[in-house]
Amino acid sequence: MVPLSDREISAEIINSCRSGDRDAFRALYDLYKDRVYSIALYFSHGDAAAASDITQQVFLKLMTGIAQFRGDAEFSTWLYRLVVNACMDAGRRQKSAAVFSVDRQVDTIAGPGSPEDDYSRKQIASSVRAAVSALPPKFRVAVLLRYFEDLSYEQMAKALQCSMGTVASRLSRGHRILGERLKGLVRRP
Amino acid sequence: MWRLGISACAVAALVLAEGFTFNIASPVAAQDFHAKGAAFVFRTQGCAEPAKAAISGAAEGIVKGERRSVALKIMMMGKPGVYAVYHEWPAEGDWVVNLKGTCADSIAGAIVPVGPKGFIRESSKFFPRPATDAEIDAALKALTTGGGK
Amino acid sequence: MTRHPSRELAAYIDRQLPESWAGRIERHVAECTRCGNECDQIRAGMASLENLPMVEAPDGIWSAIERQLQARPSREPWRRWALAAALAVVIGLAYWGVGRRSGVRWEVVRLAGTPVVGSKPIEASGHIGAGEWIETNARSRAAVKIGEIGSVDVEPNTRVRVLVTRPSEHRLALVRGEIRAKISAPPRLFFVDTAAGTAVDLGCEYALQVDADGFGRLEVTKGWVLFQWKGLESLVPAGASCRTRPQAGPGIPYFDDAPENVKQALERYAFEKGGGDDLSVILAGARVRDTLTLWHLLSRVPVDERGRVYERMAALTPVPAGVSRDQALKLDAETLKRWREELAWTW
Repeated sequence: MVPLSDREISAEIINSCRSGDRDAFRALYDLYKDRVYSIALYFSHGDAAAASDITQQVFLKLMTGIAQFRGDAEFSTWLYRLVVNACMDAGRRQKSAAVFSVDRQVDTIAGPGSPEDDYSRKQIASSVRAAVSALPPKFRVAVLLRYFEDLSYEQMAKALQCSMGTVASRLSRGHRILGERLKGLVRRP
Repeated sequence: MWRLGISACAVAALVLAEGFTFNIASPVAAQDFHAKGAAFVFRTQGCAEPAKAAISGAAEGIVKGERRSVALKIMMMGKPGVYAVYHEWPAEGDWVVNLKGTCADSIAGAIVPVGPKGFIRESSKFFPRPATDAEIDAALKALTTGGGK
Repeated sequence: MTRHPSRELAAYIDRQLPESWAGRIERHVAECTRCGNECDQIRAGMASLENLPMVEAPDGIWSAIERQLQARPSREPWRRWALAAALAVVIGLAYWGVGRRSGVRWEVVRLAGTPVVGSKPIEASGHIGAGEWIETNARSRAAVKIGEIGSVDVEPNTRVRVLVTRPSEHRLALVRGEIRAKISAPPRLFFVDTAAGTAVDLGCEYALQVDADGFGRLEVTKGWVLFQWKGLESLVPAGASCRTRPQAGPGIPYFDDAPENVKQALERYAFEKGGGDDLSVILAGARVRDTLTLWHLLSRVPVDERGRVYERMAALTPVPAGVSRDQALKLDAETLKRWREELAWTW
């Protein structure tokens, strides 16, 4: 996924939000809503209702707390800390929710002897979603944050409230699990 | 949830999947400001659930006589089934974009030549299957022998 | 390096490690089969994510947020905003003017010669705020950074005023000359007022010229621009242009590669009281992509001529489902929008 540079947040918008400019809040929401929602959706095993709830909570907290926010340089970090917290909270609440049967799905698609070219992109995408869904929550959120937001490891450490070493470790393990599970399935177009 | 959704809509998808193809256009057709800088945009046609179609693409080119291939990131636009292709391949050489899509059980392919002035609608080819290497080579040959705009 | 650097491999692949550290890992990976394999797995995992498309947030989320905020006690921001808005109205335009002038200032960079902001020459770079003018002569050019959303090149012999510098509204007034705008932002954040109406950015790059008499031309190179004047609107996509006149607003957009006789007939028809003969030239000369022009003409011709325009459009490209002749001739807004969006796939 290509991060869209023209969506970067400006100090102007943040300052206007802090002074209560409703248009600025809407602009802020429009800038980030799809990325926040996408992370929430893939984190929540594709549950659109849960993703909508998470997105709503994140922006509500952001709007009611922005007056206390100081310094625009770390805005993304602050926003994504809200995203991480909301996702992890929702994950804890939904522990019993059904998760994709990842292994079975991958086995079905990636049976031995099937040439790679036979796999449709749709099947691959479905398998990737399932594999991401099956990652432990801490790995899952790190992987999604890195992919959708392209934050540096330093920014991720602040958003995830852990050390950069921990970020590196979670990303290494998370991506490795994905690579193993999807072995032979994912290729560049 | 995804699986349930896919099952629920499978019948409709099968009905409409016949005739699954692509429709290419200038970026303005996407009605989406993110498409502004795209080389071209395209949409799926004959796909009951365009949001669930799987789409991939690669730029195939000849640079200084050497065959090159560049995997493309196909950007999904706000409207389901509408995608943008950005100019991710080198400026040098002759290039076509090879698109492939899957909707339910149907497959669509397309070869879109891209000349110095942009994509060439009239020379684009559409298939009910992935384009073959021979077809891609033929499209490139047509470009190198003066088919570009 | 003796231990296997499994924990750092993603950071190594993502180029997030200091050079010396990355160098050590690179040498280790080159010699260690296990770590080489792990790197391949991590890269495959990273590549797999390319299959996850960004998903658009449902429209209802914003409404839900607004409802929740409005339901909160009065100390919450929405109520404060309402109070602030009421106060602003009471205090009046003078307060508003001061507020705007004290707002954000945009950077101005000299591109050639000595452009002037107010009465101050710009030698290298400077700033411009709401209410201030920038002027270039025959030898000078300047670039104005439009907040965080783009830039505008001010070409020679141009006079431009900055009107509003708010994040939700960036507005200039072009009195004469030429500007070239490159905007990367959601639609309707950037506006340029002219004597003939307002150019509204819908995510685009364009050139806008206005001569000493206020006659203008809008030429769009990327995206869309909406030009509006007193309820009259012209939607101009990339590759197309539109003439503008004071007291007449925007003319009818045309693609720059349209036949010359069609363009001339359009000019006469829009601004010189051209009649049925000019319309005949336009209809006869129109190609498929000139349905851009015909679509605009549909709502500009007299009622009894609409049928001719409709028939020509229908002959050039199939009328899409959901568009009926009856509704189109009544200029039903939804019908026309539906038709335009479909026609755009042929432009």
